[in-house]
Amino acid sequence: MKARHRVSQFVTYALLAIMLVIALFPIYWIFITSIKPSAQIYALVPSLWPTNPTGIGYTNLFEKTEFVAWVFNSAIVAIIVSASSIFLSSLAAYALARFQFAGREFIGMLILVAYLLPPALLFIPLYILVTRLGLAQSIVGLVFVYPTITVPYATWVLTSYFRSLSVDFEEAAMIDGCSRLGALRHVTLPLAGPGVVATFIFAFTLCWSEYLYALVILSGQTQTIPIGLAGLIVADVPKWNEIMAGAMITSIPVVILYTVASRYIVSGLTLGGVKG
Amino acid sequence: MSISDTSVSSPLVKRSWKSRFDLDQQTAFLGLVLVSPVVVYLLIAQAYPFASAAFTSFTDKRIGVPGEFIGLGNYLELAKTPLFWQAARNSVLFTALAIITKLILGMIMALVLNQKLVLQNLWRALLFLPWTIPTIVTVLTFQWMYSSTGGVFNYLLLQTDVIQRPIDWLGTPMNAMISVVLVNVWRGTPFFGISLLGGLQAIPAEQYEAAQIDGANVWQRYWYITLPAIRDVALLVTIVSTIWTLNDFQIIWVLTRGGPANTTQVFSTLTYTTAFLNLDLGLAIAISLAAVPFLVILIWWATRYVLRRES
Repeated sequence: MKARHRVSQFVTYALLAIMLVIALFPIYWIFITSIKPSAQIYALVPSLWPTNPTGIGYTNLFEKTEFVAWVFNSAIVAIIVSASSIFLSSLAAYALARFQFAGREFIGMLILVAYLLPPALLFIPLYILVTRLGLAQSIVGLVFVYPTITVPYATWVLTSYFRSLSVDFEEAAMIDGCSRLGALRHVTLPLAGPGVVATFIFAFTLCWSEYLYALVILSGQTQTIPIGLAGLIVADVPKWNEIMAGAMITSIPVVILYTVASRYIVSGLTLGGVKG
Repeated sequence: MSISDTSVSSPLVKRSWKSRFDLDQQTAFLGLVLVSPVVVYLLIAQAYPFASAAFTSFTDKRIGVPGEFIGLGNYLELAKTPLFWQAARNSVLFTALAIITKLILGMIMALVLNQKLVLQNLWRALLFLPWTIPTIVTVLTFQWMYSSTGGVFNYLLLQTDVIQRPIDWLGTPMNAMISVVLVNVWRGTPFFGISLLGGLQAIPAEQYEAAQIDGANVWQRYWYITLPAIRDVALLVTIVSTIWTLNDFQIIWVLTRGGPANTTQVFSTLTYTTAFLNLDLGLAIAISLAAVPFLVILIWWATRYVLRRES
């Protein structure tokens, strides 16, 4: 029995080690490429450790490309979209979780369907609409379409989050004279704080990483980070240290935010963030 | 502002005298008011464009030119186009390979993470990383690692004598398909792993202990306890991931543009090419709508599953 236990322990840790190598090697490779001098990138024998670490990839990225502008565009869009989506979604989610009204279940189902509808189906329809509205080739167009990703997601997740909160505090507040909306604002929202923050973070990262809509709607005029970075691969010998420096800077905020948000992850949230 | 300084005019006594009907009417009205911004937005930005695009697929609209109604013309043209059928086959192949691999690897990941491990939370967070970093970062990194000049994959495989000659990762039909699937798998496996882990953790330990006392071995325990317990979660994750894998655009577009010779051309990339390189919007929408029947089935299935779990 003891020997068998030891074997299974060994197998478990061996599998864990293999999975860690597979998961982390590409991430390590991003980092190490980003601090290599340009001459070393295409060396016949790529060095697996940093031999001459340098910040040249980063300084080139900032000085020779429009990276700062891309970061600015991405951040503006992501903040405006996720803040407004969370505001509207929490109102809707609260109603769906707490009130009885005609069509409630139907609306809930439509929101779930909207969430599952893939962008590959919607990008031409949205391109046509945004062009007609005169919002194409600007980040205003993205602010208009990105909520099609974030609103159904946030509404869905927040509805199950509100449902999981006890109604007792709300009722107590209403007994003390709070209106329905007062109870939402002063009692339920603070209680739901962690869920709302986590949903905000996921919505933010969805916008920050979005590629297809930005490709179609911006059509090369102004750019967000994903479009800009992909656009750095033009020549036969891309400057990989610059590109990987951009990859590092793009990923770090997302990884930090995810780590913060995942502390609040409740079961319903696991579905989030895969779209795209 | 705290609760206490809002009005104190309607204490419980007064409220309870109100007829139930009044209160129901009130909350029903408020409920509709609260959901209406979201519903109106989704109608304008999702339902309307989708419906009007569906109509456009019955016209010969091109970018910048109004179209004329041609009935099923676009769909009939598609049915006669070998490239469309090739994209359909590629979409199915790409999705099937990716989903099966993700499901198996995700299952292994969940089983390992469900054991008692030192530094458990750290391993979990690290294995989760591929899913958190932006897709574009993943795609560009793999493009760099696949590269035939300076790419690390060929270097490592040559060094360890796994291969004798460098592999052209994205250059030949078979390799290109496997390479794009690998990227999707690397990124998507943690989603399966974490979701399945949630299912595993809900299984009470007593069930395993009882089975062990009854003499069930590892496989029997897996087969009769673990699998049935996580079947629902596994099915839901698989359906949801199938919907999105079937519509993956970014990985294939950035890595191969659908090449070489259309061997990684899928619905989404063919739609994009037809719309923005050939400027044929009507035909492009017809391509994207061709997958809708499958999607409807999958979405309907997923919706039913989720709603059943909710209630």
